[in-house]
Amino acid sequence: MHDDDFRARLRAFLVEHHPGRRPKDRTERLAWQKAWLAKLFDAGYAGPSWPREYGGMDLSFARQVIYQEEYAKARVPGPLGTGLGIAAPTLVKYGTAEQKERYLRPMLRGDAVWAQGYSEPDAGSDLPALRTTARREGDEYIVNGQKVWTSSGDIADVLFTLVRTGTPASRQHGISYLLVDAHAPGVTVRPLRDLTGDAHFCEIFFTDVRVPVADRVGEENGGWPLVRTSLGHERAAGAMNQAARYRRVLDELIELAHERGATADPLVRARLADFEMRVRIMRYTGMRTIADILARGEPGPASSTSRLFVVTFEQDLHEFAVDLLGPYGMLGRDDPHAVQRGRWVWGFLRTRASTIGAGTAEIQRNTIAEQLLGLPRDPAMPPSSR
Amino acid sequence: MIAFTEEQEDLRAVVRRFLADRADVRARLDSGEGHDLAVWRQLADQLGLPGIAVPEEYGGSGGGPVELGIVLEEMGRVLLPSPFFATVALVGQALTASGDDAAKSRWLPGIADGSLTATLAVAEESGRATDLTTTATGGTLSGTKMFVVDGHTADLLLVVARTGLFAVEGTAPGVTRTRLETLDRTRRLARIDFDGAPAVPIGESPPRKALDLAVVALAAEQVGGAQACLDMAVGHAKVRVQFDRPIGTFQAIKHKCADMLLAIEAARSAVYHAASAGDELPVAASVAGAYCSVAFTHAAKENIQIHGGVGYTWEHDAHRYLKRAKSSEQLFGAPAAHRARLADLVGI
Repeated sequence: MHDDDFRARLRAFLVEHHPGRRPKDRTERLAWQKAWLAKLFDAGYAGPSWPREYGGMDLSFARQVIYQEEYAKARVPGPLGTGLGIAAPTLVKYGTAEQKERYLRPMLRGDAVWAQGYSEPDAGSDLPALRTTARREGDEYIVNGQKVWTSSGDIADVLFTLVRTGTPASRQHGISYLLVDAHAPGVTVRPLRDLTGDAHFCEIFFTDVRVPVADRVGEENGGWPLVRTSLGHERAAGAMNQAARYRRVLDELIELAHERGATADPLVRARLADFEMRVRIMRYTGMRTIADILARGEPGPASSTSRLFVVTFEQDLHEFAVDLLGPYGMLGRDDPHAVQRGRWVWGFLRTRASTIGAGTAEIQRNTIAEQLLGLPRDPAMPPSSR
Repeated sequence: MIAFTEEQEDLRAVVRRFLADRADVRARLDSGEGHDLAVWRQLADQLGLPGIAVPEEYGGSGGGPVELGIVLEEMGRVLLPSPFFATVALVGQALTASGDDAAKSRWLPGIADGSLTATLAVAEESGRATDLTTTATGGTLSGTKMFVVDGHTADLLLVVARTGLFAVEGTAPGVTRTRLETLDRTRRLARIDFDGAPAVPIGESPPRKALDLAVVALAAEQVGGAQACLDMAVGHAKVRVQFDRPIGTFQAIKHKCADMLLAIEAARSAVYHAASAGDELPVAASVAGAYCSVAFTHAAKENIQIHGGVGYTWEHDAHRYLKRAKSSEQLFGAPAAHRARLADLVGI
């Protein structure tokens, strides 16, 4: 099949089966999204980069790019939970055959939602300080402790969790990687409101939760290196996905600026051109990363810096959009006068998390400096890990 | 999409090794030419670099903007003062893209073998490449060009005039050349006055493509310069000890370096894409022109900051990069102008 045919067929599928407007009610919305993901999977349009044996499409990179672009343009629901980008590559690389068989397809089909249990109240950027314990008892671990800022925790079925199996002082050398059933006895999930007013993330309490040893990924006390796993392929596809999504968002912002007559102002034009430049560079970087993988089997340095590039971009973009709204930027999402249902103001707030979640921008810069540039480690800090 | 082939990586390695031995820019700055003619001969005779982007039928090796970009990135790393940039990147590319067979046969072989130096004259006293006043009528050209790279020595001048692109011999009657005192002493600039100088029209289309190719070539050079600044800064941060620790252990220094790398990698994406952009060249050139300039200047400033007092001295090379960076920003349009053009091109 020619690339153009592939694009046309995918586009036709996405248009024909578009699940319609996003329900406001949370429960309805979850069902709506799960139904969509199942439909996508059953039609063979899920997991563009995934191996076929786990239900994926195993597309060439060129096709993955097309996929991500069309998917972003179609404005259909994205994946549920945070498993696909983070846990799935870890499982593919370190999981047992049985774990892969049991977990990967349901994750991809949206039947099981995965959420991450890494951070704790006193272990955010300093993840090696985590204190949630897993004590071994025969074929099970008994887990006790607390996790926090868990995105999608309230809809999760599986929590991929870091627990302390070593001594309290063992730091990153005493950590194991467990898959915890979110519905198991002893797991309490409490939604946590963020500064947008929404409850995107949760705090999770474990009280004597029993987890089969078979649900440990990797070796006991060997969980730390797994934190770092992100397959280059996934990262590259993710970068293309971001670029495609922000291409659309920027086009919408430019349209908004035109509608409001703001593009007559040369300063506004210059700012928009700056975003245009950056969104294009995002795409070029994604393509370059893919080309690197094809040529050398691994992504180059641009893939490590691209996340920082994107988070800075999305913060700047949304803040500029709020400025563009003038006094309407003072309105909350629920006000009937809010422009475009308050999406830009909400985005301004939401993207505060961009430089915090999944490792703060400061930690990312440390990692880049030490791992890519070879600068010496700060003696007060553990070796950088993510 | 771009990944370098093994041949291209080899080319990069060869050029880098060659320049590493001859990178002492200071020795050449005060000569009349502003560059070392012996190095130029070696570039031509030993490495065949002037023909890198000249088609084989005109004596070149048939590469394109990608190969040229690799060479320029390496030259940018060491701030090599050389007629290469003007002759090969500006004029060689412009002639190759001109579609003018007569012009190509006449001048490309000389460029390819290094016997002919050339430059492209774009801006005028307004400082802009628009609203041109230089005019050509009846085989002669009149007007004033400013900021012409190596304009005082080039054998051949390619002049952007109101009605297109024209070739003028550097020593032709009616041509007066004046060297300008420059901020960046590693790149010489000249003012050239034309008063009825004999001129040959090149091609038929407006020379916009020549300008876009020039912008991309400059951007490649800027990426190399920025990378050199980062390398210098990182090297210094590893060995400079303050408060009993290498300063590179401090987060404040780490973050500066990480941000430099981020900007440089983004600049690379922009320039590598532009070098293989094809029909998208105008947009890609504007993106590269806007981004790479800013990235280089940023890296040059941070390099001085990380070097502290050492970086502020004349003896250290850091200031040469700052001067090259700040001058390069203006050479073929300031970042703001590239952004404005990008806005026009994409309908903002």
